[in-house]
Amino acid sequence: MSKKYTFHVTGTHCASCKILIEDILMDSTGSTSSLQAGSPQEEQNLVRKVRVDLAKEIVEIETESEKNIEELAQIFTEKVRSSGYIISVDGFDKLTTGKKIPENKDNDAIWKAIPIGLIFLILFFLLQKSGILNIGIGGQTTPVTSFIIGLIASVSSCLAIVGGLVLSLSAKVSQDNVSDNKTFFLFHTGRLVSFAVLGGVLGLIGSAIGINFMFSAILGIIASIVMLILGLNLVGVFAKNKIALPSGIFNFFRRIEHKTLTPLIIGFGTFFLPCGFTQSMQVAALSSGSFNSGFLIMFAFALGTLPVLALLSFGSASFAHSKHAPLFFKSSGVVVIGLGLFALLAGLAGLGIIDPLFSI
Amino acid sequence: MNKTVSIIIILGLLVAMGIVFFGKPNPDFQSVQNVEIKNGIQYITINARGGYSPKVSSAKAGIPTKLIMETSGAYDCSSSLVIKSIGYQKILPQTGKTEIDLGIPKAGEPLQGVCGMGMYNFLINFS
Repeated sequence: MSKKYTFHVTGTHCASCKILIEDILMDSTGSTSSLQAGSPQEEQNLVRKVRVDLAKEIVEIETESEKNIEELAQIFTEKVRSSGYIISVDGFDKLTTGKKIPENKDNDAIWKAIPIGLIFLILFFLLQKSGILNIGIGGQTTPVTSFIIGLIASVSSCLAIVGGLVLSLSAKVSQDNVSDNKTFFLFHTGRLVSFAVLGGVLGLIGSAIGINFMFSAILGIIASIVMLILGLNLVGVFAKNKIALPSGIFNFFRRIEHKTLTPLIIGFGTFFLPCGFTQSMQVAALSSGSFNSGFLIMFAFALGTLPVLALLSFGSASFAHSKHAPLFFKSSGVVVIGLGLFALLAGLAGLGIIDPLFSI
Repeated sequence: MNKTVSIIIILGLLVAMGIVFFGKPNPDFQSVQNVEIKNGIQYITINARGGYSPKVSSAKAGIPTKLIMETSGAYDCSSSLVIKSIGYQKILPQTGKTEIDLGIPKAGEPLQGVCGMGMYNFLINFS
């Protein structure tokens, strides 16, 4: 005999939380593999059906368990607590404090997050304006110089677009609790490999293909729009309204996030993002005249950009799993929105659609 | 954190950011003589590396004009040059001089060059 219970759920900060909670509760109690791993009592918690309503912040669970509703809430909370959710009968946290679960904790974080994000943005733009990064590197482009150029590029204005994209995607992936390390590993591998191979191809075929300005400019604008959306999402603008998209779309996004291929392709795509340094290196690879030298130049360049980008993605993963997670997500949201706006305005100016608003 | 304190800090930071963006750039290069007329052709020289200098130049209208882009070890955005009004798009060589024919510019039609990502620009006024 299965009975249907309705619980309150808190901590549902993202749209895909719905799927995550439903998956955790279904998986951990329904599948036979985890039954064997779990304690024997859990066998009675057989969950038949889970449905999360983000707008009402409730979760409906159909279970065959004979336990009472309070016990069930505890059992379910234990399963999802590590992901930051609390399931309760009446909105009170029985497990720890017994107090009403604070609802406005997230709102406090935003007031800390905006100044933190702004400070990072100002430091970044001051660095650009200081001219420290305009080190001239003369002579032949060798793998060593292209490695150094990669190091410089990774903290230059290119960071606004490539780094901003990496940060926003990483934070989003960590927030949605997808197996993030694997995703980042794939992204960076995809980036290194595609830079090297495309560099080699450029060297091999020489000037046969030009790097199209229009193409990379449009790609840059798309990237900055993605950054703006993800940034707003991280700050939590959308969470307030709890816009619940049809679950078909959810599943689609989730499938994309889980796909092995997606991070590889995004890594590959960064080759074409507008970045003066990348474009210069592409020209250098182009004029290098052979597959091997083009390969080495672009590989060394990508390797040079790796430390900062890897720090961004793996750093956000470790922050995301710490207790400062809400603050981190919101701060990086502010940073990403700032960089996204900057990249968008600059990209539109580059296309000649608007007058350049600023000049660093 | 106190909301009021935070809002004050945010406003302060926004002002600081405004200064970073719109404040005067490092010493003005405008005094540099970058326009010269040789054999009836006007040459305007602009340096590209970490931005363009001079940022604003003035030249004569009505005579054949060539723009010379000088680069020395430029790997940043300024090496990918876009001049929309004459449909010019090119990635400048890391080091070297690139000559761009501007034809005979008309008075009151300034020429604007932007780097591929749009964060650096320069302007030439013709009069």
